[in-house]
Amino acid sequence: MPTSDRQITHTDRVLLARVMDLIIPSDGDFPGAGGLELAKDLERASQRYGRLRSGLLSVLDALSLDIASRIEGGFAALDEERQIASLKTVEADLPDQFAVFVELIYETYYTDDRVHSRIGWAGRPPQPEGFDLEPWDPSILETARKREPFWRGAS
Amino acid sequence: MIEPPIPEIQDEQNSQTVIAPEIVTEGQSPPDVADVLIVGAGASGAAVAWRLAQAGFSVVCLEQGRWINPALYPTKDRNWEILGRHEWNWDPNKRGRPEDYPVNDSESAITPLMFAAVGGSTIHWTAHAPRLHPSDFRVKSLDGVADDWPFTYEDLEPYYDLNDLMMGCSGISGDPAGPPRSPRPMPPVPLGEDGKRMAAAFERLDWHWWPSDNYINSVAYQGRDACNYCGPVGFGCTRKAKSSTDVTYWPEAIRLGAVVKTHARVSEITVGSDGRATGANYFDRDGAIQHQAARSVVVAGNGVGTPRLLLMSKSDAHPNGLVNSSGLVGKNLMFHPYSITSGLIPDLSETWKGPMGNILMCQEFYETDSRRDFVRGYAYQLNRGTGPLATALGGPHEPVQWGARHHEDFAERFGHIVTMAGIGEDLPEEHNTVTLDKQLTDGNGLPAPKVTYTLSDNSRRLMDHSVKMATRVLEEAGATRVMANPLLRAGGWHLMGTARMGDDPERSVVNQWCQAHDADNIFIVDGSVFVTAGAVNPTPTLQAIALRAADYIAHERDDLKG
Ligand SMILES: Cc1cc2nc3c(=O)[nH]c(=O)nc-3n(C[C@H](O)[C@H](O)[C@H](O)COP(=O)(O)OP(=O)(O)OC[C@H]3O[C@@H](n4cnc5c(N)ncnc54)[C@H](O)[C@@H]3O)c2cc1C
Ligand code: SF4
Repeated sequence: MPTSDRQITHTDRVLLARVMDLIIPSDGDFPGAGGLELAKDLERASQRYGRLRSGLLSVLDALSLDIASRIEGGFAALDEERQIASLKTVEADLPDQFAVFVELIYETYYTDDRVHSRIGWAGRPPQPEGFDLEPWDPSILETARKREPFWRGAS
Repeated sequence: MIEPPIPEIQDEQNSQTVIAPEIVTEGQSPPDVADVLIVGAGASGAAVAWRLAQAGFSVVCLEQGRWINPALYPTKDRNWEILGRHEWNWDPNKRGRPEDYPVNDSESAITPLMFAAVGGSTIHWTAHAPRLHPSDFRVKSLDGVADDWPFTYEDLEPYYDLNDLMMGCSGISGDPAGPPRSPRPMPPVPLGEDGKRMAAAFERLDWHWWPSDNYINSVAYQGRDACNYCGPVGFGCTRKAKSSTDVTYWPEAIRLGAVVKTHARVSEITVGSDGRATGANYFDRDGAIQHQAARSVVVAGNGVGTPRLLLMSKSDAHPNGLVNSSGLVGKNLMFHPYSITSGLIPDLSETWKGPMGNILMCQEFYETDSRRDFVRGYAYQLNRGTGPLATALGGPHEPVQWGARHHEDFAERFGHIVTMAGIGEDLPEEHNTVTLDKQLTDGNGLPAPKVTYTLSDNSRRLMDHSVKMATRVLEEAGATRVMANPLLRAGGWHLMGTARMGDDPERSVVNQWCQAHDADNIFIVDGSVFVTAGAVNPTPTLQAIALRAADYIAHERDDLKG
């Protein structure tokens, strides 16, 4: 079992960038999570939260140890279909750690400004501006008000 | 409402700016012997402190948490969604702040959620503020299950009204699902496009709906701003538009002379040889044990914290834990089990706009109906969509798929989600408990609570029904895909029943005035005293009960005044 103390190596970083692209692939001309070069942010986030770091390291270690990739000469040497198969094997073997790993990638991707503008999010935190809603209009209760009281008496 | 001058200082422990407790109590030092010592500065403790300070009692409150400066809530931070999942998580085990105690929930189907600070769990709550129904107080008489309460809805009604004014309630009278209510102090929070769409769907099915009562300012109220519909109410409100008790009751209570000591974790309520309370021992922020003497003690630590403290307070006079001659302290734990059914409605967009849990309620299935395979019922609370990260992570549902379908799955959900939260009535069962864990401890070495809870068959059937009906109305509203979770594990927002009230000292811990049967100067005022749970969010009810208990003390217990 990896410990959260292990350092992330250059090999890990290369592997991570590829895996991130498989988890969140490119969308038309918009790069995937690996292509956006979010690995550094991801590493930083994992350093802050121990639970995320141990998920990250467990999955990276499991991927390098996965038998299919070892036979072929490493994860990078597999074609995309087999890389996905290898990820699915790790997901099945280590479901909790894999879920944390995916969570970490989503945390990094879905807090990135470029992604926010792509998906139509305001590109700012909810405060201080807030959002607009149409004002309250009591006429919407016209039908609901017609219903007779139907609560149950208690005596 | 007058606010005390509260300058900000730097909190060395957490390197966050906080409001200094010393300055809040400037000019007032805690009396050597308080008339009333309150444990816990949350929803119920705050209400009691205000009412009793107003009645001229000297009040000291010990709170394990600290003051939080509303400007520091995460919603202003560009990483607000990440902070919300970690530092501000609703689950104390995930948050792990020094002031939190951990909870062993490994044998519970539901995870208890709470916050430790002045304001208690109202720092995090979503401020949905419905009332119990008259029938909820009479379930034994009406349906032959559980027990009746020792008072009626009518007994509590004036205190609901008072609490609505103090907390600030937005809503509108005339709901046919409940007895007439006094005019609400503020108009309803707007429904939004999602609310209007669902309202129309309810009407086509001929089902009840009504705008929610919320403790959220739809207009500026008592010196606090109106809501600007930013969305994630559950992470604290930087505008103070959401009524947490640190911005409602506490400033008033402090103005009237109440004193709050923060970073004060009570380890034991002390008693004399007659078994009556003499005060409490607590750990201060340096870990030193202190004692606060008092003529009476009010316990307001919530449905988990209160039984934990009572069980920790063993003495010769109370060998099974404080005021536990009935053996019922820590038993009959009730949550409201929640089902979560979400519809994806393609032609709605930006459903993240507006306070997230505060749109409307449906109480069509609230009461027992002999044609169904369960007794009692449930209500729906309509919830909104969330920000990008929470949407991707799925919240109560599966995360958005990774791989080839990722973007399609995300686009279907983001901004198009409308959620029906089914709140089920949980009946009390003695085997659902809060006990003291044998290994796990908090930062002061005190035993952590262990929660043991299984979902009853009745609740399971009720939850399944709620998913079926929610699916129906979501499809009626135009949902093309429905995702359902029949029991939300991380949904233990409501903590009730663990020191129940009643007339019979053998079958209850406190009487109808929240006074312990075993000691006339010990009161318990939080959700622990609930006899049954009803099927609505409990906080207005527990605050109304706390105010009623305070009025009993104010009118009947002059002997507690120094
Ligand atoms: C995310 C979330 C959303 C919610 N939404 C709603 C909603 O929409 N509507 C609703 O009605 N309810 C809601 N609730 C529930 C609501 O917050 C609680 O019902 C309410 O706060 C309970 O009040 P209380 O006084 O019993 O306890 P709390 O508010 O939990 O306060 C208890 C206080 O006691 C302190 N304490 C405990 N033990 C000790 C000790 N030994 N020494 C010193 N201090 C101690 C704690 O630190 C805490 O501050 C929500 C809760 C959460 C967590
Ligand atoms: S939605 Fe309104 S009440 Fe909720 S946090 Fe935002 S401003 Fe405050």
